[in-house]
Amino acid sequence: MTRRGWVVLAAALLAYPWAVAGSDGAAFLQDMGALVLLAAIGASAWNILGGYAGQISVGHAMFFGAGAYVPLLVYQHWQAPPLLGVPLGVAASLGIALIVGHPTFRLAGHYFSMATIAVAELVRIMVGNWDFLGAAIGLQGPATGRGWYDLTFRSAVPYYYIFLAVLALLLAVTAQMQRSRLGYYLHAIGAGERAARSLGVPVRRYKLYALLLSAGFTSLAGSLYALKTGFVDPDSGLGILVSVQMIITAALGGAGTLLGPLLGAAILVPLQTATNTWFGGGGSGLTYVIYGGVIVLIARFEPGGLLELWHRRAAARLARRGRVRHAA
Amino acid sequence: MLLSAEKVAKHFGSFRAVAGADVAVAAGEIVGLIGPNGAGKSTFFNCIAGDVAPTSGRILFDGVDVTGAPAETRARLGIGRTFQVPTTFEDMTILDNVMVGAFLRHPRRGEARDRALEVIEMTGLKEQAGQRARSLGTPGRKRLEIARVLAARPRLMLLDEALAGLTPSEVRRAIELVRAIHAQGITLVIVEHIMEVILTLAERVLVFNQGHVIASGTPRQVVDDPAVIEAYLGRGHGRPRRARTP
Repeated sequence: MTRRGWVVLAAALLAYPWAVAGSDGAAFLQDMGALVLLAAIGASAWNILGGYAGQISVGHAMFFGAGAYVPLLVYQHWQAPPLLGVPLGVAASLGIALIVGHPTFRLAGHYFSMATIAVAELVRIMVGNWDFLGAAIGLQGPATGRGWYDLTFRSAVPYYYIFLAVLALLLAVTAQMQRSRLGYYLHAIGAGERAARSLGVPVRRYKLYALLLSAGFTSLAGSLYALKTGFVDPDSGLGILVSVQMIITAALGGAGTLLGPLLGAAILVPLQTATNTWFGGGGSGLTYVIYGGVIVLIARFEPGGLLELWHRRAAARLARRGRVRHAA
Repeated sequence: MLLSAEKVAKHFGSFRAVAGADVAVAAGEIVGLIGPNGAGKSTFFNCIAGDVAPTSGRILFDGVDVTGAPAETRARLGIGRTFQVPTTFEDMTILDNVMVGAFLRHPRRGEARDRALEVIEMTGLKEQAGQRARSLGTPGRKRLEIARVLAARPRLMLLDEALAGLTPSEVRRAIELVRAIHAQGITLVIVEHIMEVILTLAERVLVFNQGHVIASGTPRQVVDDPAVIEAYLGRGHGRPRRARTP
């Protein structure tokens, strides 16, 4: 993207809550904006491992869950500010990633994906039966803030800007990665492990780097979710749908691209919110139907996602123009 | 010896793809590796490059025992290889493909890019540098594979049928490229079915059959060796006509 494109995007994201403030559903739209950013953070974090390195994890909910649970856990048991639990959640996620990464990376392709599902479901079931972690009921954050450090706001706007800051950091890290040896190596691993190895890429080690980076930021997404919602239970924090949402969001926009996840989130979240509003409580099941539909459409028509479609169109247009000029 | 493989064997179940092959390659040589289909050439290559672990035997590279070392360690030590079926990174541009190789010796992006551009120029891919690898045909892909390996500055290059499927004029260009690579001081081991390539490039030829080296010598000596004739054509045949070029 050009420098101007970035400035426009940044300005639009910064101005959004303020721009919709005058409208009827201001609070609703601001809340949805925050949810879009949150989904974008989760999907961008997943994208580092699943998109760039091509290791399709369907178990990222375990990192999201760790990030969501730990802040509320430190509040519930020790009345500490949930914010304190955020780095602890990241640390827990990195620990889990190290333990899980070693055996699962011995598997390739679908087998890796299936193993990650199994581990994440195991974690969900364990947490759901563990009273210390709230078992099936879950954990709650402070109902009213005792101070700014509890980060409980009535409006969605402060959350929006916190999420935006984290997303900006994540995208900056990803952009830096994309340009560096790490990014090239991850891309190569995703494109063909055997060839990557033959060129001196230490595949296992780099996969682990990608997993750690990915897990750390996914954990952050979970923490932000818990801070905003003030509540987490095994389904909302560790359910398979959490992982699936990250995958679908990234894949719709374009897995392995910098802005694909944000684009995917900007389409999927409003779509989800709309179905929930139109169909009321019955609409929540519809989320699955939408995900299924999106999977089918992406797989059938554009495995590279919408950004890939855009690039192909642009290339075709350029080629046509070139031909016309050639003929003239 | 830059490379010495001692009694290398690779068994798949009861099938002995490589059955105790002894191969030694001196620095600066171009060695041709020929043999009928299924003779074990590619498996032997994979053993040398670290793609598969040999069942038994020992592989030394520049005096270092690399028998149990993974492929990436061998690449780091200086063993580069191409694949029989090209394994280019399809969604990446030609330049990015080559940069992956260049990053091995040049961790910084700018230097890796310079090295990649240098190699792209040498391999004649400059025009297409910004295109994705998937846009290339077979000859282009084979060139790209060579470029990618070259960018990693190998000391020994294993070319697995890098010239197969090329038209005669492309073959001639590829031969020039291989000569240019050799001129940079890189030792080469070439598996090739096209006899013209072997006869023009190789100083020494090893003939594989049923997992063994059955003959070695200059290209001319090998072509006249009765054991080689038998391996290709079976018993009771005279000297074969020179293998056809495609």
